[in-house]
This record gives sequence, structure tokens and C-alpha cells, in this order.
Amino acid sequence: MKMVRPNILPRFRIYRRVCGMLLVAVLSGIFSGHGEAPPPAAPTEFAVPQPGRQFVFPRDHGSHPEFAIEWWYVTGHLFGTNAGRYGFQATFFRRALAPPNSTNSSPAPAFRNDQIYLAHATLTDQTAGTFRFQERLNRAGWDADSATNTLAVRNGNWSLRLLPENSTGAAALQLQLTVGADTALNLELAPRKPLVVFGTNSVSRKAADPAAASHYLTFPRLAATGTLTLGETNQSVTGEAWMDHEFSSSQVGVGQVGWDWLSVQFFDQREIMAYRMRRTDGTTDPFSTLAWVDAQGAISHVGPDQFQWTTLAKWHSPKSGADYPTRVRLTAFNPSTGKPETFTIEPVVADQELAGQAGGISYWEGACRVRDEAGKEIGRAYLELTGYAESLKGKF
Amino acid sequence: MRINMANARPAVLRILWSRFSWRHWRTAPVSSALLLLILAVGVAAFFSIRLANRAAVASFQDFTALITSQSDGVLSSPVGTLPDAVLAEIRAVLGNQPVNLVPVLEASAVAPSREEHEAIGSRPTFQILGLDLPALVNLTHSADPSQRWSLTAKNESGEKSGPGLWPVMRQPASIFISAALAARDHLQAGSSLALIINEHPVTLTVLGIIPTNPRQPAAPANLLIMDLPALQQFTDKPGQLDRIEIVLEDGPNRAVRWAKVKAQLETATTTPPRWLVAAPADRQASAALMTQAFRLNLTILSLLGLLVGLYLVFQGLDGAVVRRRGEIAILRSLGVTSGQIQAAWLVEAAAIGLAGGLLGLGLGWLGAQFAVQMVGRTVNALYFANSVDSAAFAWSEALLALTLAVLASMLAGWQPARVAANTPPAQIAVRTAGANYAGGILLHHRGLGIAFTLLGLALTWLPPVRLAGGGRISVAAYGTALCWILGAGIFAGLLLSGIGRLLHSWNLDSVRLRLAASQLRSPSGRHRLLVASLVSAVGMTAGMAILVGSFDVTMRGWIARTFQADLFISSDGAQSASTPSRISPATWKSLLANPAVARANVVQVMEIKLDGITTLLIGNRLAFFRDYARPAWVSAPDSEAVFDPQKNADLVIVSEAFSERFRRQRGDQIEIMVPGGRRHLTIAGIFADYGNERGSVLVEQQQFTNWFGNELAASVILALQPGQDAEALRATWRREHPGLGIFTSAYLRGESLRIFHQTFAVTYALELIGLVVAVAGLAFTMASLLWERRAELATLRALGTRRNEIAGAAAGEGALTAAAGVLMGLLLSVALGWLLIHRINKQTFGWTLQTERPWGQLAALAVLLLASAVMVGWCVGRWAARLPAEREE
Repeated sequence: MKMVRPNILPRFRIYRRVCGMLLVAVLSGIFSGHGEAPPPAAPTEFAVPQPGRQFVFPRDHGSHPEFAIEWWYVTGHLFGTNAGRYGFQATFFRRALAPPNSTNSSPAPAFRNDQIYLAHATLTDQTAGTFRFQERLNRAGWDADSATNTLAVRNGNWSLRLLPENSTGAAALQLQLTVGADTALNLELAPRKPLVVFGTNSVSRKAADPAAASHYLTFPRLAATGTLTLGETNQSVTGEAWMDHEFSSSQVGVGQVGWDWLSVQFFDQREIMAYRMRRTDGTTDPFSTLAWVDAQGAISHVGPDQFQWTTLAKWHSPKSGADYPTRVRLTAFNPSTGKPETFTIEPVVADQELAGQAGGISYWEGACRVRDEAGKEIGRAYLELTGYAESLKGKF
Repeated sequence: MRINMANARPAVLRILWSRFSWRHWRTAPVSSALLLLILAVGVAAFFSIRLANRAAVASFQDFTALITSQSDGVLSSPVGTLPDAVLAEIRAVLGNQPVNLVPVLEASAVAPSREEHEAIGSRPTFQILGLDLPALVNLTHSADPSQRWSLTAKNESGEKSGPGLWPVMRQPASIFISAALAARDHLQAGSSLALIINEHPVTLTVLGIIPTNPRQPAAPANLLIMDLPALQQFTDKPGQLDRIEIVLEDGPNRAVRWAKVKAQLETATTTPPRWLVAAPADRQASAALMTQAFRLNLTILSLLGLLVGLYLVFQGLDGAVVRRRGEIAILRSLGVTSGQIQAAWLVEAAAIGLAGGLLGLGLGWLGAQFAVQMVGRTVNALYFANSVDSAAFAWSEALLALTLAVLASMLAGWQPARVAANTPPAQIAVRTAGANYAGGILLHHRGLGIAFTLLGLALTWLPPVRLAGGGRISVAAYGTALCWILGAGIFAGLLLSGIGRLLHSWNLDSVRLRLAASQLRSPSGRHRLLVASLVSAVGMTAGMAILVGSFDVTMRGWIARTFQADLFISSDGAQSASTPSRISPATWKSLLANPAVARANVVQVMEIKLDGITTLLIGNRLAFFRDYARPAWVSAPDSEAVFDPQKNADLVIVSEAFSERFRRQRGDQIEIMVPGGRRHLTIAGIFADYGNERGSVLVEQQQFTNWFGNELAASVILALQPGQDAEALRATWRREHPGLGIFTSAYLRGESLRIFHQTFAVTYALELIGLVVAVAGLAFTMASLLWERRAELATLRALGTRRNEIAGAAAGEGALTAAAGVLMGLLLSVALGWLLIHRINKQTFGWTLQTERPWGQLAALAVLLLASAVMVGWCVGRWAARLPAEREE
């Protein structure tokens, strides 16, 4: 067990991890029918993130049922022994409908009605130019749950768990995924950099309302090793991954139609996390931000006035009809060098759209290459584009 | 002679058809239509029963497939229900393999009663499927959204069309209904639906419509879908599942993947096994298996009309040969070969079969709409709950019926065609060979009649054929019936001739009788065929009347003995013997605690498998059963130990149907599987039971509860303290427990008899069809015979015989023919009655019946038929008396 003192970054105003917004949007969508919103749980029924929280591990890798919303989110890039190159995404969402021990708790432990789990899994095969996607939706109970004392979350046959520490004391994560009948991914994810906690004094504020906040933990770089089964072919894979874990009880305000989110892992061991909140009038929301993580794991961030997000090309989805700006140029001021840096993000496969049935919201999230101004590949990224198939206004 | 098909060139056959066959039928439209109608009614009876059977079985389908499409396998408990705790265990066994596990719980429900005393089984039964609704969206990752059911579905314009998860998870009292029910009862999302589930009156909110899966048939009106944990609550089955459907992800090598999963699951189960892994349960197949014997019996019965019809087709074509022999002679003189003549006759027979068959399909389809309700009610009473109310047209059944009609017609036409082809031109040109031409040559052979009778007798010694599902079918006994019917037909011809000779020898004064007797002294082939058809109709109808009469007497005795207690209580949702509706322990214990109750029996029921065949295990307080059901013992227990809860731990009582079905006798051991493992039990006694044909094993109720760990009661039977008013207590309890069906013994006795008679409704209908065909055949034959004798009739008129005298003679001829048919038919019925009671019924259902011959009914049948014959003969005679001596048909 280890204690982590969160970084306190004076100018860092992380709004929230954008996929968390996606969770809220998705779960808001699935809980209501015919456009009817779910009856809101009283905010006081659930816990509110408190400043100065001392995270205790592995307990805080686990589930926090006293909070309404929680997710574990892994993306990464893999290289197979057959020279194949792949991207993957695994998300495990938890949404509580009622706090623990409330009168609304279900009497049937196998089929609980107080929590719901949604999960997404994708595999992008860059060599073949294909994209596989599957989702799972289960109520808490026999086929979906998450441990409260360590990281052990599962949804159907998918799972993400913290392995027991090995003889060297290093802990690793184990991710097991399948996509459809013929794709299986078994990975061990070992942290190459320490966990970072975004926000101020352990709390990531969402809005002016103090209750609109979250606890936000990230492994920005994990070494991935394992096996990938594609049809009849079974191969070893290695690569790097990124993992977020966030829990909160609030929902964000209105006024945005969607967001563009990006995580970059540079070959020089630095990372970037950036998002651009898009408002209904087409402008960028002031809560948008970009964070640099240096090779040692130190975080510095810049506001929306210090980075420029330019669309270079769009991809039209034949399924949803949306036009996604999948090729972008990002110019960002780097506080540690005092200079701006420019690079281009381009998808490894054009169609990486998640047209979900369970969540009911289509979005694009895919593996990308990162090039510098000279065209040299300098890193790998995951890009998330939401609100293009339909406005997310009113859904989070 | 062999048909020379090489010579039967199509052109010649075409000419023969248009100039020879078709012209004949066209010029005699009434008799042609009558013949077709007779055949059509026979085909219709067969077709309607087949459609009704099919509909009854189809109603028992696996509704889960509507939602899941086809499962790869099913996991179920060896006995009873599965605890839902095994779900996580199975997921762990399968590791990260992409396998969907779909837990299922099923229940039935009915609408609340509107009347105080409503007929049992009169309310439609709903089937409720309990599924983990939020998880259904996982069932396939196919890109085609129409192939899965998402609560968060969107319509084509992108708007949400599903109810969302929230209402499903937060409103347990909610339900999805089929589009058919929504349309029928004008329901929509938000509407209320009042139901009784187990003993609970509940008002459910309609959340939405069950979506249509393009790969599956539409959901029937009686299907309701509820979230599984909610159904567990409503049915008092917390933590219990009926089965787990296993659905693999779409993709290649599905069979290989399933084999691997199946092997893993089979390896993981313990000894004794806690779960069984099987291929997807084809519930229609199991329903078909369960009702196989019943349906086969009904189908055979439905062939009665066709059999009678065939006699008439035979004699219709036989008559045509006689009437057209002049033309045959001309054709032969013109060089048409005998092979071509025979082919032309067979084509004609086939055409009659086809036309009659097509007409029969129409009539049969209409008849099926009525038959289906009768068949459905019987299946409901004896086998499983169904709410079938219409029969769909099935092309395969239509083709079968049509093929049967054509083949049977050709078979009936074979002998006349052979005669037509074989008779030399010189002989057939002799006109006077006329009306007494003796077709149906086989019916002259007394020896053949004796042979048929003896063969039939020999066949009665053969055992029944045992079917895979435990059903038995008395193939040999049906063979006996056919032999005896044919034999009796031959003897009836002899009887007819005897009657004619006897009357002739009496030198009667009456012109009418002398004329009538003169025709019968040496009856024509068609007289013999007519009387044979009457014998078959009367014999089978009267035989069935004896069976039903015997059943009736036996049932009345059984009912009077069985319903000795004062009050009989079940869920108000229990509308059939096979209902899954139960009474919760809290409720029945509160009833038993009432000081008015002297003694009680708590009946618990579970389907179990023995030797791979389904039967019923019934928990009973056996001493109460002895004292208040007063069983009629087939083999009485030789000690009182089986009635003593302290001594009967491994003793059981079984029903006679069980004993027959599983060939077990008193003292034999049976081995049954219960959740705790195998139990070896000894049969202490066998009692007569007419409640079900699957057989029952009665064990002490406490033992049953110990084995299965639940106290849900199928029914509770109470004996009250002396002086207690059962009706008053019933009224009080009805108010306190509106979800319970509470009956007094008097009411239940009446209902049992009503349900019993209801199960025979379809039998009565088929008998009636047989009789109608026979009477129609009488009219047809008489008209045909008198037509051929028109020259003779003209001579009689010229000699001064009045029209009424001719009509009277015809009535006499009809009555005497009918009398021979009725007399022989009644004799046949006694034999068939014995066969039905002691062989077919005993072998099929395992029920011993007390023989009862309903003489009043048989006499009424005889009088009805004789009166019909007189009337028909008279009408035809008056018509024939006007015929000119010479007229082309």
C-alpha cells in the first residue's frame, strides 16, 4: 500500500477528463427514454469530492460507490510480432442510481437496480485498416461489478484488475478484452511513470458550484505486454498505454455541444492531455485546457488562449452522417521551454467511430500518429471527438 | 392388366378426358358435386385437425428466441430451478471467452376474474418471460440494430423509442407487451394491465412494445416480458432461474466454439450435477413429443370421414364404370387400348381427389378455426397452458392433405378402372348387364370378412409402440379397428342380402317393400359399398360413444371419491393442470392456521425426469390423500407405512398412468434426481387417476419440501371442522385473498366433469362429420342406383305404380340398407368399444375404465340414421320417379 500526495499545480484548472463527460452523457441518455430525463438523485445523497483527500492505494484504484459516477479508461498503441500495429481502447463506466444502503437498493444481489455498468472496447488494426468496436451494458450484479478495496472491475467477460505485486514490488494492471467473436486482447500494463492526480488539492473542479468536482487519477504511460488474437492468429504484442480513473457525483453544466480531447505520448517520454470544449456558438469554452507532463511526471498546463487547435481534414461517417475533424494541427505553448510547439495529429485509420446502441451516442475515438512540422513521426496519440453526430447539449 | 404408359399418349388421354370423363361429370352436376363434397368433408376433417394440432403445439414455443434469436445452448437444473448464484460461477468457468449468458425465469398470469363463479380455464393465460432487460443489448454486436433489443433504441429519425433503463430498473411492476396485445386491447406505453401472478393481484404499467425480430415470428398476444428480478419477486422465487440460455458472439466457427464452451461447462459441474448443458431446448419439439400420442389419436379419428368418403368414391367410380360401359365399348372398338382406358379412369379418380381435396382445404381451414379451440382446450387440460385461438394455413399440411386425397381417390378408383379396362367390349356392350353390375367385388367374400376379423383379433395381443417422449401409440389396436371395420363391412353386405331374401320369402303384400326387397336380395356392389360405409360410420361413432360413456361413468365415480374435502385452493392464475402458478408459504400457512380447518393437504408439484421422460413428482400429505381423495387402488399398499410420515421416507404411491408409462409395478424401485442427489424410492401402491396422462409420483409433502427447499404450494386442500360453513369461509377468504381461487367440492366436481366433456368436444365433432358423410353417401348412392334403374322405374310407372309408391320403395330400400348398416355397425361398435377401452385407451393413457354402454345414445343414433335413410330414400325416390326412361346423364 502506498500513499500518493497529489501534485498541486497553481494554474492548473482541469475541468474534467472529457471521457467522464462522455460517461455522463451516455448514461444520461440510456437512463431516460422518449427524451425523458432520469429523476435526479439528490446531490446530498452521494459523496462530494473533498479537498486534501489522501489517496490510499490500492483501495483508491477500486470502486467508490458513495460517488455517483466513476470510470476506468485505458487507451494504447501496440506492436505485434507479425509487424502489425494496433490501437485499443477499453472503458469501464459505473453509474450509481442510488447511494449504498439506500431504500432504493435492489433486493436481488444478482440483479441490482442501484448501479449500472457500461463498457466500450475497440481495436484498430492499422495494417489492415480496420476498426472493431463493441459495447457492454449490465446492471451491477452477477455480470458486472467493481471491487471497493482494489482495482478489479469487470463487465461481462471484460475485466481490468490490479495484479498482486510481484517479487520486485512492482504492481501491474491486467486488461482482458474481446471484440466480437474473433478478437481477444490480454495485456499486462506496468506503470512507466508514477500516477498523477489532476486538480487542485486532490479535487478537480468542474464549475463554479463546489459540488461539481471530481477526484482524477491518471497513469500517463504504461508499458503494455501481452497477446492479441485476431481470428485464427495469436501473436505477442508490446506497446504503451494511458489510463485514467475518475470518480465524482456531479454533472457538468450546459452550454457545450461537444468536445475534442487528445492524449499524446511523445517518443521523448513527455505527454500532453488536451481538450477543447465547443460551445453552441462555435467558440471554444474558457474551461478548455492543455496539460504537459514532463519526462519525470511533473504537470504544467496552459489555458485555451495558449494553444491553437486547427482542423486540417474531416472524415464523413456513412453510419451517423457526422463530419469528424480527424486531422488537426495543434500549436501549444510549453511552459518548461517558454516556446510554442506545433505538431500534426492524423488518424491511423479513418473510420474509428463508436456507433453505440447501448449508449445511444455516436462519437469518434481513435489511434493517431503525431508528426512534427517536418513531417517526422514524434509520438502517438488518442483523439476523441464528440458532439458531431448530434449535439450533447442537455445530456450532461 | 398393366397400364401401358407408352400407349397412353397424352393426346389420347386429353381426348379421353374431355370427351369421356369430363363430359360425364359435367352432365351430372349434382351427383358430381355431392361426391366432391363428400370427399371434401373427409379431407376437411383431416386437414382441420392437422392444422389445429399444429397450432396447439406452435403455441408452446420458446418465446426467448423472439429476443435472443437462436441460443447456442441451454443450461438448466437437473431438477427444479437453478439458483442465480451459479451465473457468476459459470462466468468464472468461461473466463474471458465472449459468451453471453441469458438468465430466464418464466411464469404465467391471468386477468382477474370478473364473475364469482367462473369456469376454470375460461380466462386466457399470459406467459411472462423474465429476462435481464438492461443486458439484452449485449446479445450481438451486429451492426444491424434491428437484431437486438435495446431499451435505449432509437427510431429511424434518431429519436429515442425505447423506454430507457430508468423506468425498467425503478418500476418493478412494469411490463412489455406484444404489438398484437396492444392492438387487441388498445394498450400503449403508460397503460395499466391488471393480472394475477401466483396469488398476487398486481397492476402493471406497460413500458413499451416487444420489438419485432425480423428473424423470428411476431410475439403472440399472450406474451409479456418483465425484468427478471421483478418477476422473481412476483413469483415468490427469489434467486431462482428456470434456465440460462447461452448465446455466443456472432462470427466464424460457432459450432467449434460452442463445443469448447459445452465441454468446459460439463467439466465444471459437480457430482451429482448441479446443471445440465443441452442444445437449445426446442420447446415446440418437446410439446410435440408430449402431445404426440394425443395428436396421433386425433388424426386417426379424423380419417374416419375420409374412410367413409373413400367407400363412396369407390362406389361413385364403380357406378360410373357401369353407366359408361357403352362408351367404353365404343372406345375399345375404335382402337383405344385397355391401358389407355385404365389410365383415363385413374386420371379421373385423381381429378376427383384433387378437386375434392382442394374444396376440402377450404372447408378444413374454416373448420380448423373451430377445431383449434377444442384441441387447445384439451391440450390445456391435459398437457400445458396455451392460448391458441386460431390456426394458420400451413402449406405443408395442405400438400399432405391434398396428396392423401388424390392417392386415396386413386386407390378407390383402382378397382373400377381395372374392371373398366379388363371387361371385353362384347360384354360391356350388353346393355342389360346394368344396375346389378357387381363392383366392389372384394365385399362379396365371406372368407375375407372372417380373415379380417381374425387378423384383427390377433393384433389385439400386440403391445403399443412406445414413443421417445414416453407416449405410446396403439398401432396394432388401430390395425385391429381397421380390420374389424373392413370385416364388418363385408358381413353387412351379407346381412343386407339376407334381409332381402327374408323379406322376399315373406311374400309381402306391400308393393313398396316388395320392390325394396327385390333390390336387396342380390345387392349390387354399390349397395354393399354403401352399407360398408354406413357400418364404418356407425361402428366408429357408437364405439366412441361407448368409450365416452365408460369414461363418463368412471370419471363420475372418481370425482365423487376424490373431492371429499371441503375447500380446494389454488392460485387464481391456475387455469390448467400444468400451471406454474403457486401459493406462497406465508399465505397457505395463514389459511391452515384458521381454527375452522380440521385437516389439510398441501400439494406441491415438480416436473421431474425418469428414464429421460417427463413425469410429475407431487408432494402430498399422504394420510390426508388416503382419507379424503379415497383413491381407487389398482394395487393397494400392503401396509399403512406409506401413510405415516415417520415411516414413509422412501415410499411413494404412483398413478396407474405412471405404472403403464414406465412399466413399474408395486414393490419396484424408482430412482429420481433431487437437488441433493439421487433418491431411491419404492412404489408402495398404484392408484387409478384420470388427472393427467404423464403419470404422478406421490411423496410425503415434508419430504418434498426437504428435497427442494421450497414450500410453494400448487394447491391446498382443506377439511373443515364439523359444522363449519365452507361457502362462508370461502367468501371471507376470497375477500382477504383476491388472488386465490377457492372452490368448494361441489363446484369442483361440476367443473371437473365439464372440463372432461370439453376434452371430448373435438371427438364428438369428428363423429358427427363421419355420420354426415355417411348420410350424404346414402343420398348419393340411392340417386345413383335409381338413375341406373330409370328404365325399370319407367316400366313400373307404365304398369300403374304411383310416384309415391316408387318413393316409398326407395325409402324402404334406403331404410333396409341403413338397418343392415346400423345393425352391423352397432355390433361393430361393441367390439370397437372394447378395443378403445381395453386396448387403445389403456395403452395410450394408462387409464382403466369401467365399461358402460350408453344404450339410449346408441338407440338414438340408430333411429336418427334410419329416419335419415327413410327421408333421403323417399326424396330420391320421388325425384327418380320423374326420370324419363332414356336420357343421357
